[in-house]
Amino acid sequence: MAEANDDLEGACSGLTRRELVQRGTAAAFSVSMFGGLAERAFAFAGPLKYKNRHLKGDLKIMQWSHFVPDYDKWLDNVYIKRWGEKNDVQVKIDHIDNSLLPATAASEAAAQSGHDLFQFLFPPAALEQQTIPLNDVVQEVTKKLGKMTDVAYRSSYNPKTKRYFGFADNYVPDPIHYRHSFWFNAGIAPNTWDNVRKAAAKLKAAGHPVGLGMSSELDSRMFLMSLLYCYGGALQTADNKPSINSKGTVEALKVMRDIYQQGESDEVFAWTASSNNQAFLAGRLSLAVNAISIARSAEASGNTALSDDTWIAPIPRGPVRRLGNEHVMGVFFIWKFANNKAAAKKYLVDQQLGYRDHFLQSKFYNFPAWTSAVKGGFKTMRKLTAADNHKPSGKYTVLTTIAEKYTTNIGYPGFGNAAIGDIFNQSLIPQMFAQVAQGKMSPEDAARSMQGQFKTIFAKWKEQGLM
Amino acid sequence: MRKAGTYLVVGPFAIVLAFPFYWALTTMFKRDRDLYNTKSIPYVYNDNGGHAHWDFWNYMTFHHVSFLFKHTEYPTWVENTLIVGVAVVAITLVLALPAGYALARLSGGWGQSMGVAIFLVYLVPPTLLFLPLSRLITELDLKDTLWSLILVYPSFTIPFATWLLMGFFKTIPQELEDAALVDGCSRLRALRRIVFPISLPGILTVVIFSFSLCVNEFIYAFTFTSSTAHRTISAGVPNELIRGDVFFWQSLMAAVLIPSIPLALLYNSFLDRFIKGFTGGAFR
Repeated sequence: MAEANDDLEGACSGLTRRELVQRGTAAAFSVSMFGGLAERAFAFAGPLKYKNRHLKGDLKIMQWSHFVPDYDKWLDNVYIKRWGEKNDVQVKIDHIDNSLLPATAASEAAAQSGHDLFQFLFPPAALEQQTIPLNDVVQEVTKKLGKMTDVAYRSSYNPKTKRYFGFADNYVPDPIHYRHSFWFNAGIAPNTWDNVRKAAAKLKAAGHPVGLGMSSELDSRMFLMSLLYCYGGALQTADNKPSINSKGTVEALKVMRDIYQQGESDEVFAWTASSNNQAFLAGRLSLAVNAISIARSAEASGNTALSDDTWIAPIPRGPVRRLGNEHVMGVFFIWKFANNKAAAKKYLVDQQLGYRDHFLQSKFYNFPAWTSAVKGGFKTMRKLTAADNHKPSGKYTVLTTIAEKYTTNIGYPGFGNAAIGDIFNQSLIPQMFAQVAQGKMSPEDAARSMQGQFKTIFAKWKEQGLM
Repeated sequence: MRKAGTYLVVGPFAIVLAFPFYWALTTMFKRDRDLYNTKSIPYVYNDNGGHAHWDFWNYMTFHHVSFLFKHTEYPTWVENTLIVGVAVVAITLVLALPAGYALARLSGGWGQSMGVAIFLVYLVPPTLLFLPLSRLITELDLKDTLWSLILVYPSFTIPFATWLLMGFFKTIPQELEDAALVDGCSRLRALRRIVFPISLPGILTVVIFSFSLCVNEFIYAFTFTSSTAHRTISAGVPNELIRGDVFFWQSLMAAVLIPSIPLALLYNSFLDRFIKGFTGGAFR
């Protein structure tokens, strides 16, 4: 009992040597941790100091993590620093995964705070009431570079409100990637959808199926809309009225059902945006519709057998036309609550005027919204792409042709309006194709049912005054 | 024989649980050609033809780990995670220890009901809370700072810690405190010298669990911090290593394996105390 009391007394007395050491260590740790924290927490409190310059403020930009890491590196470490110094503005770009852009925009809109410039990879028409019109920026660039491309115009302009709700800075062609040797052995060229349908069974039997997704993800959405165009179908008319229930849609649904049943497996209904990339890089697929990330990844992997055998071509021709969507459409917008609207506008103008560097740094992924942003236009771009030394020789030259002749906007032949954005985000087109391919609906019923859904969506956005 | 039986039962569990670590470890050093080759055996290193080799050092690469450290801000994200984790654990302990004690000792019948009510707060999902909290963070001008996370994370660590500690304090005999009070200790000193040292397993559980919650949290980290330099591991890794439809698999594996190893070691080192902490209040 005495022992217990002694312990207790000791416990209730002052500091022992051991405690002193313990507390000292804890204090040192706290200072080291929180000293750093304070510095980090307020790291962006003050503007960057340029020698003898008076800063005009900060500019905060949000955009996707580009699939070419070196492009982001160049943008963050070279381009914006150079531009910032020239314009006395401290620029900061935040990059996030492209699938998280809409959620982040929703969060910024809710908080009424965030970035000055925000880039979407599809037309952000639904956000028009929360953003400022950019007609003046488009006019300024047009004055210097001439007419913007139709794909950019239709992805950033609202004919109803006569406002540019966004500033399209680039678009990305969506070619097919195919394994030349597999198609050569099959004795067919993937230049028409009818050929793709005919070859599907042969290629699957050879262990190399075609990789055309019907899932709720970007690649499927883009490619399936392209297939519709090739067969004469469209989501809407030129004057922006729902038109999915058409003969062209029914024909496209039938072709895709045939391709799936003869040449694909159930996996295509559960694909993510990276699934066709990975299956192609694994050597399984004979064809995929995707931006050049597949070809570039094959080159980076060091697998020259795969890389040299990966050829690029325009979207296959359909009975009505040969036309595909852009793969992604870079459209910037400026929030009404943005702090530095003037700098944001200046940034957009200057970026477009000097887009040649962006075209090259992105390894031909980003094509400029104004063709003459690269001096000499498509002619120069063709020369630049032809100079790429990866095999087969001139592999990327066709990209320029695709960008020039075979690329259109989502919502073709109309505009990329709020209703189209809604349909795009809900993945209604892949759902329609999947239901027909799985035999759950006939092509005619699927098109009719989708028309009903479209009418509701279009009516909703009309009511909001955006169409 | 008895030992062999134990190993027979535990062995398969250990293999299953260790497998993700093994998978990540082998994948992080794989060459692209090996990783994407369907003929390759995925658990070992293979040549270009897909044939497995045991001299793995000839068929592995450090390129992707090097990419993680040299071409991304990964070391900064680790440091940020550590800073946020330590700060949140400290705040949690400062608030949850007295709260748990008060609910266990001083609130009578209300204590139990309030403890359950506090725990229910823990169950409100961040997916519901991030929008209003986003507004709050903006109002406080804490957007894109680590302070935003240090402020918000205790909202889910404190309820859990309070509830857990409340159960643990109930297992400590009241007589011990009474003895200390009789011997001249104030209640605070009795707490510090008698109750807290005995509650060490519970406190350690709170420390480890709160820290793990901070490391794993994604939605707040993603929403409240936007610049690369201010991100934690959970927000930085998916943003920088998933680029459009291109996944940097090997770097991703390295990025998740590196912080999980010390965390796993920490759990294992204090396993007995950790179990005591969780089950402390269960047998009352």
